[in-house]
Order: sequence, then structure tokens, then C-alpha cells
Amino acid sequence: MSATRLASATALVALLGLGSAPLPAQQDPGAAQVARALDAESAGRNREAIQAWRAAMQAGAVLQGVLGLERVFSVLAQEESLLVVLDTIVPRHPREWQLRAAQLRVLMTIGLEARAQRAYAAWRDLDPADVTPYREYARVLLFNSRAAQADTVLREAAANLGSTRALALELAQMRAGLGAWREAAEAWREVMDAEPFFEQAVVFSLGPAPAAARDGIRAALTRAPAALGAQFALALLELGWNAPRNGWNALAPLAPSDTVVALWRLFADEAERARAWPVTRDALAAIHAARPDAGVALRGAKAALQADDASTALRLARAAAPLLEPARRPGEVLPLELEALARLGRAREAEEVLGAARAAIGAEGARPFARTIAWAWIRAGDVGRARRALDGAPLDAEDAVTGWLALFDGELETARGALRHAETPGQDVVSALAVLNRTPLERSPELGAAFLALAKGDSTDAAKRFEATAVAMPDAASLLVTLAARIETARRAEARALTLWTRVATEFRASTEAPEAQLEWARALRRRGDAKGAREHLETLIIDYPGSALVPQARRELDALRTAG
Amino acid sequence: MSPEARGGAGAASFRRVTSLGRALLRGALAVAALAASGRPARSQQLLVPMDDAQANHLKAYGVTFSALTDNIRSEWLLNYRGGAFLLPDLPSLRRAAQLAGVTFEAVDGARVAAIKAEIAAGNMDAVPLEKAPRIAVYTPPDAPPWDDAVTLALTYAGIDYQKIWDDDVLDTDLSQFDWIHLHHEDFTGQQNKLYLGFRDAPWFVQARDRDLATARKHNLADIPALKKAVADRLRAFVERGGFLFAMCGATETLELAVAAKGVDIAGPFSDGTPMDPDADAKLAWDRTFAMQGAHLEFAAGVNAMSDIDGHQVNVPSRRQQLGTFTLFGFSAKFDPVATMLVQDHRTVIGDYYGVTTSFARKVLKPTVTVLAQEDGAPWVKYIHGSYGQGSWTYLGGHDPEDPQHNIGAPPTDLALHPNSPGYRLILNNVLFPAAKKKPLKT
Repeated sequence: MSATRLASATALVALLGLGSAPLPAQQDPGAAQVARALDAESAGRNREAIQAWRAAMQAGAVLQGVLGLERVFSVLAQEESLLVVLDTIVPRHPREWQLRAAQLRVLMTIGLEARAQRAYAAWRDLDPADVTPYREYARVLLFNSRAAQADTVLREAAANLGSTRALALELAQMRAGLGAWREAAEAWREVMDAEPFFEQAVVFSLGPAPAAARDGIRAALTRAPAALGAQFALALLELGWNAPRNGWNALAPLAPSDTVVALWRLFADEAERARAWPVTRDALAAIHAARPDAGVALRGAKAALQADDASTALRLARAAAPLLEPARRPGEVLPLELEALARLGRAREAEEVLGAARAAIGAEGARPFARTIAWAWIRAGDVGRARRALDGAPLDAEDAVTGWLALFDGELETARGALRHAETPGQDVVSALAVLNRTPLERSPELGAAFLALAKGDSTDAAKRFEATAVAMPDAASLLVTLAARIETARRAEARALTLWTRVATEFRASTEAPEAQLEWARALRRRGDAKGAREHLETLIIDYPGSALVPQARRELDALRTAG
Repeated sequence: MSPEARGGAGAASFRRVTSLGRALLRGALAVAALAASGRPARSQQLLVPMDDAQANHLKAYGVTFSALTDNIRSEWLLNYRGGAFLLPDLPSLRRAAQLAGVTFEAVDGARVAAIKAEIAAGNMDAVPLEKAPRIAVYTPPDAPPWDDAVTLALTYAGIDYQKIWDDDVLDTDLSQFDWIHLHHEDFTGQQNKLYLGFRDAPWFVQARDRDLATARKHNLADIPALKKAVADRLRAFVERGGFLFAMCGATETLELAVAAKGVDIAGPFSDGTPMDPDADAKLAWDRTFAMQGAHLEFAAGVNAMSDIDGHQVNVPSRRQQLGTFTLFGFSAKFDPVATMLVQDHRTVIGDYYGVTTSFARKVLKPTVTVLAQEDGAPWVKYIHGSYGQGSWTYLGGHDPEDPQHNIGAPPTDLALHPNSPGYRLILNNVLFPAAKKKPLKT
């Protein structure tokens, strides 16, 4: 509770400090008391801090004392205690804006809103042409979620000052608070034209905008001529809205300059934190192209691998190499280069790269890469070479690569034992184990060939082989046809996928895959515009497989169909 | 000669006989198949519990409503297991319940008899539901379903309804509907005073222009005049036997608009003229459903219509915190309508804001039945009463599952709230006209 209050008070005080005139200089009055008060406050000795701040005020440090007391009373949830102090001091210094602002904050915090309104009116009437009372009161109102009331104050300011230019920041916050998102974006744009460093405030203010309002915000922030700050703010907003590609699209067309590259770097950091790998890759690649940098290129290569883009990873890793001292290359470039080559199935080239590096890293240093080379050969479809790559670097019997090699050879029993211990079982391991656990067979070269085709990235061949293998493996037939169907669905081979899903749903009605087949069948029909057919299959799933985990999803899709229809 | 080759009446007669024969044969085969299947005979009834055993309370109303739509009679077991429904055990209803994820229990004759005996012995009753009410929702033609808790609930539960708007209310015979729902429309014609914060917002401008065009089409001077005319038609609908259910700002503003016949209660921003300074004294409370003696809010800058709302959410200096409200218990046998309206599996429900969140006790007419209140507070949440030959129900607040609802907030996904006790109150209102003998509305 007190921590929250302190944070709130600190944030508000910090916010209020933005763009405000500096405090009038005080010739270190009560410096010793101030130092003692600060010590006590930071040590959490609040009672002592209160005494010390009072003493500092007595010694002439009035502003520091009031702000210090505000912080401490806020921690103790005793803000009303400050009111007595303010009631005495404000009449003595009626034009001291910081005292006036503190008074407004305290009155609002303890719920004396009518008094706050009167205090504001009294301050404003001293000089209706001064922007400060409007701005401070609007800020306090906004901080207390009184957007509509802030609107009234800002309109009053516009009437008395002739414009709200000096209040653009408050106007933006007020509009966002009222849910007028497009208008808020326009106001933020105006703020950032003058002060382009408010992007985090923009993100905080406009981030909660609902999806329906976001196009309006996009239009406001990108309308030509858009300031860099506005474009950057939009990019960060898009990241927060889970649309990282849109975010990069807002920044990518900018002509590279020192400022633009700096923004790209900030964006890449955020995208990396958000694990938006394709966008991180693109941003880092663009930075490297504009300002070549080995570290950026290597980060880009890693992001590309995460994005399953081995080609770009290879290009960036190789681009980093000449920018690095030779001694650092084996440790920083080689692993990325080999991993990329392995994923591309360029096994021979990978072996050559490793061979060239052997002089620098030695046989011991090369041994950990044997597994990567083996994967490269598997990708290239040569299981024999994969085995040979592992000569001299024998794998554990329970290593996943051992399991995969056994599976590709059709040695199901060995594969079953090894794959069970995969450190990070991905979807491929889960699928392989599902099949292996469904059949008592110890050997099946046909199944091995199907998984090998999948590993080589030949999805067409893999789908055909899984389907064909189903005949010889009746226990796992429904799953094998399902695997084929999933591959065809992922390939967007709609007609073929539909045939396979239909087969699972009709030939293997009692299988555990049948509900999935019904769901996918329904989805395929919906994509074709056959809502009635889609509905029938969703209903079949719900009625015939009431225990399936897919039933809630089917109900949702059924509702969506009904609503759309 | 084949039968088909024969001509004239004899052939037709023969075809009828053979077709009858085929039907009889199909029937006999079906009976034989059932007998041979060895499956237990179907139970006589399906009990749809509405207590915590129910997986999807909201869709249970939809299943019951679909039975009524198909002219299948059912029963509402008031105060029994949260207000359970008893439906005939028909394959179509089992299927509908299963598809919707609605829990049901098959009960045989003996179990039904035991349930009925239990009901007879306690504060419970079994009310027959006879006919699906014809439902209309007063909502702008382009409003999305999530703009209104009722359309949201009806859509989620799968209950069909017709949208009506100003032209329909003014031009058509409303007696074609049994039930009309109103949500946050401002019948004083001041667009909920949203001009304070949204006067330049495109949707606000669009709504104002649309309403102004409708007013002119009906030879009415301005939006306040249009909305007052609509309010009066709705008043007459209830007077002639209709059921009216209103939520949010529609409750308060309907009362004000009906009371203000011939009195200018709209601010100058909406009709170009100031409010009648004596408007408070001129309001005709004998015309209204629920309120009396309320005071209008004259300040154009204060986002409130009157002192009817207890919470005043849009007036910062008056805003009251949200609490909880408690549903009253009624005698099921002597006060079945009020009992129907409060059927729920929870009696204490978290409150939620709306343009009008609650109703100040001090302005309620003595004839009003309070269905739910916040204990110790000077306001109530849920009220009901009769007017002429019809009846009305008011529920304060905007969205039971979005307590702090703001303009532009994302829509509530009811799939995440299938057991919402607040939304049940809305659906009780949808179903209760089915239980009552229809009064004449002409």
C-alpha cells in the first residue's frame, strides 16, 4: 500500500516536473536540515523525516520542505496532515506554482474535489492569462482519472489563453483518457513535433486503444509530414499491439541517418525482447547495412535462425566475419554459420567450413560440431554420411540424434528408447514418439523413410509416405494419415488435406484423431464458404466426442459461424 | 399391369394405400429396431439444473427458449436448484443442450414426481412456459452486438430477436412484440451529454446527424422532440400489455422523457433553447412507470440527467464506489413474476457502472417492487412494476461483466463468462413473458 502510494506520488511529481519552469533559487537555506531530512526519508525513518522537513521549512527551505512532507505523508497515507501546512503557506506565497500544485494534488488525493476546484479557481483568477494553473490542475485531474473534468479545464484554458498549444500534452492525455483515440493521437503528434522524446508517454497513453480504434491512430501518426518521433511511437505501439511487422513497416522506409539508425536500434531491442524474431532480423539487418557492425550482424543471424530463416542467418554471420578479429571468428561466427548450413542441408559446405576452421580450433574444438554436421547430412538426405560425421564423436545411446538416425533407418525400437529422452521435445519429436508408441513393430524402413523425407523438408513426399505406411501399421494408421493431413494443411494443399481429414473422420471414427479430423474438416468447409457443412461437422464433434479436449473450441467456432451467418 | 400404369382416381387411391403401408412398415421397423437395440427406454423429462452443477447457465436459457420456439412446452422450477428448467426428453433438445454445453439430467416419472412433491412442500413452484416471446431490441441499425449487454446475452444464448429503431417505433404496430428491450439510449434527446467529451468524435457527430434526419422526417423539431415521441410510444406499448425491460441510461431518461411531455428539459446544446427553468415543477410523474419527484440536473457541464441515479459515475464529485447488490427472495407461489426475475445461482452480485447505475430510493414510487438492492445504501439496483396492462423492469448498469465499462472498451466475450449471475438477470426477463398468460394489447 505505502509502496504504491509512494510510487504514485513520485510518478506524479516526476510528471509534473516535465516542461515546468525551474524552481526559484534558494541560497541553500536550511541545507543541514534538508540533508538530515533526506537521510531519514531514504532510510524509511518517516517520523524523523517529518520533523526534519518541518525544521528545514523553519530554516527557510519552504519548497523543499513541502515537497518532502508530501512524499513522506504520502507513504504514511496521511496526506491530510500536509493540508494544514499548505493552508498556512499558500496565502503567503499565492503565486508560487509548486505550492499551488502540491495543494491541488493533496486535495484531490484525499477526495476534497470541491475544495480543489476552488483552489484552482483562486489560482487561475490571479492571472487568467497564465497557463500554469490550467496545466497543473489538468495534470492532477488526469492523474486521478478525471478526464472529463480535465476536458473542461482545458477548454477554459483555450478560451482564456486563445489556444491550447502550451497544453498539447495534457490535451493528448485527456483525450486518451476519454477514449477519443484518434484525437488523442493527433494531440500527441503535435506534442512530438515540438518535443520528439515523448514516445514512451505515447505508448503508455495510446497502448490501451481497442483494435477498432487503432487504424485512426495509425493514420494520425503517419500522416505526411510525420515527425520521426511520431513514427517511432507508432512502431512501439504496434509492437505492443502484437503487430511487430506493422511496427517495422513504419520505420523501414526511413532513409538511414544517425538518428534513424539509433531508432532502429531501439526498435530492434524491443522487438528482440518481444521475441518477434522475423522483425528483429529485418531491423538488425537494416542497421548492419547502414552502419556495418559485427555485433549487430551476429545478433541478426541469431534472430534469423530463431525465425527459421537459415539463408539470412548465413549471410549475416558471414558478413560479420571480416569485421571481427580472426581469433574471435571460430567462437562467434562458426557456430552460427554451421547451424545455418546444416538447416539448409548444405552438408558438404558445412564440412568444408569446419575443415578450414580445424587449424584454428583443433580436433577437440571441432568435435562438438560433429552433431551439427550429422544434422546437415540428414537434411541433405544422406543418413550414411550423417553416421560417418559422427565417427570419432560417438553420441550417447539416448541422444536425440541417435534416435533420429535409428528412426530414419527404420529401427523403431532404438528410436523409441532414444527419443524419449530428448532434452527439448519439439513437435517433430512428439509426433515421432506418438507413432512409435502406437505400434509394437520393432522395424519399419517405410516409416523411417517418411520421417526422413520430413526432416529433409520434402513435405510432399513425407505426406505420401505417411499415408502409404498406414497400410502396414494398422495400430497407428489413424495417426499416420493424420500426420499426412497436417502436413497437407500446413502446405495449404486444401483438396488433398480435405481428402485425408475425411478419411480419418470416416475410416477411423473411433480413433483419438477423429475429433481433430472433424474440426479440420469443418474449417476446410468454412474456408470454402460452406457454412452449413462446417456446422454439421462441428456438431458431430461435439455430439459424438463429448470427452474430446477440442469440444470447447468446436463450440466457439460454432458460435462464430452462427453469429456470422 | 403395374400399379403405376393404372390411371385415374383408382391409381391415386392405390398410391395413398401403398404410401400408408410403407409408413406403417417404417414405423413397425423402427419399433422393432428400438426393441432390438436393447437401449434403455428414454426418460420422460430432462432436468436442466441452474445451480452450480450447470456448466453454462446462459446457454441453458437459449435451449429452453428454442424448445418454446418449437412449441415444446416446458416448466420453470422456481427456487428449485437455482431456477431449473424441466423439458421433455426429446432427441432434438438433448442435441441442442449437448451442442451448447448445457448440463442436463435425464429424470424418469418417479423422480419428476419426487421433485414436484419437494416443490409443493417449500417456497418453490413449477411454472409452465408456453410460448416463445417475440422480442425486439431498440438499438441503432448499425450497432454491433457488444454495444449492449442484452444483445450480447441474446446472441450468445442463441435467442433470436428483431432490431427496432426510431422509425419502427413511430411507424409500426408495436403489439407485434411481446418484449421490448432498451439499453443506454438517452430519451431526453441530449445524447447522454456526451458532447462534454466527444462532441467532435465522428461517431458522435454521425449519431447526431442521423437522429436529426429522423426527427425531420417525422416533422419533429429536434432530437429531444423525436426521442420524447419514441418514449411516449414505448409507454403506450406497456400500457397496452407489453413487457419492457430497460438497462443503463435508458431507464432514467425514459422516465424523464415520459414525465416531461410539453416541458423543455433538454440543454441548449441539443435543441438550441435553454431548459425550462420551472421544468422540475412541471414534470408529470403520474405518467411514469417507476419514479416520482426526481430533480433535473440543470448544469450543462455536469454529466448527469437528474438525481435518479444513485452512483452518478460521470460526475466526479458525486461518484459513488461500486459495492455489491443482493437479490431479494420472493414467495414463488404468491409472487411468481418477481420470483422469476430473481432466479439465480448467486444472491449477492458485484455491482457495475453504467450511465445510470442504480436508482435512488427517495424517488421510487411506492408501488415499485424492489428486486435487488445494495444493503445499507440509499439506492437500489433492480426494480419491477406494472403499468396499465403490461409490466416493466429496470436493471441499472451497463455490462454485468465489465464493471468499469468505458466507451471504446473491448467487447465482453461471454464465452468466458458462461455462468455470469448478472447476465442471468437479463435472461430471466427474456423468458418470463413466456410464463404469463398473454394479456390483450389492443
